Amino acid sequence: MPDILRYAYMQRALLVGVLLAVLVACLGTVMVHKRLSLIGDALSHSSLAGVALGLLGGFNPIVGAMATCVVAAFAIEGIRKKLGNHSELAVAIVLSTGIGLAGVLSGFVKSSADFNSFLFGSIVAISAFEARLVLILAVVVLLAFILLYKELFFISFDEQAAAIAGVPVGFVNAIFTILTAVTISIAARTVGALIISSLMVVPVAAAMAIARSYKTTVIWAAFVAVCSTLGGLVLSFYMGLKPGGTIVLIAVAFFLVFRLIGVLGGKRRASGVASDNASKGDA
Amino acid sequence: MEKVIEVNDMSFGYTKECVLEHVSFYVEKGDFAVVIGDNGVGKSTMVKLLLGVLKPTSGEIRVNGKALESISKTGIGYLPQNGGSRAASFPATCEEIVMSSLYKKIGFARFAGKEHKAKVLEALTTVGMQDKRKALIGELSGGQAQRVMLARVLAGDPEVLILDEPTVGVDAESVDRLLHILHHLNIEKKVTIVMVTHDVEKVGPYANRVLCLSEGACREEALPAATIVHAHAHSHAHGNAEHVHCANCNHAENGAPAHDAAHCVECSHCGSFHEHIHAHVHMPHAPHEKEKTPSGKAASDGKEAE
Repeated sequence: MPDILRYAYMQRALLVGVLLAVLVACLGTVMVHKRLSLIGDALSHSSLAGVALGLLGGFNPIVGAMATCVVAAFAIEGIRKKLGNHSELAVAIVLSTGIGLAGVLSGFVKSSADFNSFLFGSIVAISAFEARLVLILAVVVLLAFILLYKELFFISFDEQAAAIAGVPVGFVNAIFTILTAVTISIAARTVGALIISSLMVVPVAAAMAIARSYKTTVIWAAFVAVCSTLGGLVLSFYMGLKPGGTIVLIAVAFFLVFRLIGVLGGKRRASGVASDNASKGDA
Repeated sequence: MEKVIEVNDMSFGYTKECVLEHVSFYVEKGDFAVVIGDNGVGKSTMVKLLLGVLKPTSGEIRVNGKALESISKTGIGYLPQNGGSRAASFPATCEEIVMSSLYKKIGFARFAGKEHKAKVLEALTTVGMQDKRKALIGELSGGQAQRVMLARVLAGDPEVLILDEPTVGVDAESVDRLLHILHHLNIEKKVTIVMVTHDVEKVGPYANRVLCLSEGACREEALPAATIVHAHAHSHAHGNAEHVHCANCNHAENGAPAHDAAHCVECSHCGSFHEHIHAHVHMPHAPHEKEKTPSGKAASDGKEAE
């Protein structure tokens, strides 16, 4: 057995890391295609305010993070509808509010080490309770994502057309918002509030460079997220690096390589189409 | 003839100022109606009202005799403006995009079956895009993407098809192809079509009705109104009608080709189409009871505007 698997904390870290990677990739695909890439940033920063509240109030910081994340997510949806053509400002407004609150409240937290552990996460210090929480969350989110796949696709593609076709857009968006908020608040504890939003967007961006359909975009995004997480944990274990940052940097490397492959593949396809057209013209 | 859409004395404004005021018209089963008018006159707003996205300030819209509550229950399909180009940045195949419109047939939180995949292929075949079903929508030309978007609407088997400027940003050849497909649907499959367009010259020959939205004489009162003008059936070789009837007094304007109706020709008899903003302007029908061609529409007169 490799050294890395001999330690219970590393086994938990690998299991939780892989599960969160799959969840985050699924949710991230929907977010990116709803043009809300920065929503992860807004929610994760808002979760910090909840962490500070939890530490100050003497209750579990994850519960505080979940509560503020859900409130922030619905605030984004609400503000987005009010702002019409400038709906993207909703994310910036909530993000600013979250940072402001977290900044002010963190000043009252006695143990800054506890608070800082949520900034960059502590995936190798996950308790058995947190591991179980992630496992339950993974089942719920994956089930919801699979069942609502076509509804989420339709809403991402054209929200108005989806509503016209009878999709319960408000209901599906609300479910998605809650799942995203809960996932981010738990992921903030493990991979870090400052890193989770990157993990939501970068694997999807990488997948989009080579995927040939929406379904394969989800699959490739999950693949990149899982590989980045496993690679990051292994590297950090053997090289003494910070796991969160290593995971994100590997995801960025995937993005660069996939972009290159995508560009080369695109040129090949374009030349293929041109030669097809030329041969049709000859015929 | 059965009325599929009835708009009765409808008014709407985004603010206190009305965009549409006391608009009344109806569309009958099998019509190919064209909605024309200058920019900003409220054409797209009217489409949103017909789709139930917006609610009228006053008046009512009836679809198949019932008050419009939810468009998803009405059998109306909608092709939005620039639908193809807007989809270009979305990483989905044509097949996936067309499948999305089968939501009602598949059901909430359920999975597509073989019959749904067959339906998708049938819709793509109707628009001649079956060979591109696995292609990403972003890799298609504007015209091809627009045909895929049309297939997406058709897969839902709509009885009425509402199109908002479908020819914008599409090359001439693709426009012709799109119009031929729509004509085929209208004639062969009896799909009622309501199309908002500025391209009356191209679309006119396929249509049997022209609905003109204009501020007209009511502009002075800041009360825009709707007028419907029938592009009469005395068509010449190019298919352009030679008479336009005033919706208000029914006076025929000789020598006005159908596509000039885009500017809502002022009536020389009563001075305006829009003098009576409450006017219920009944669009003539019957062209479908007669021989109809892409260029000539009906072979004889329809009823006159009342």
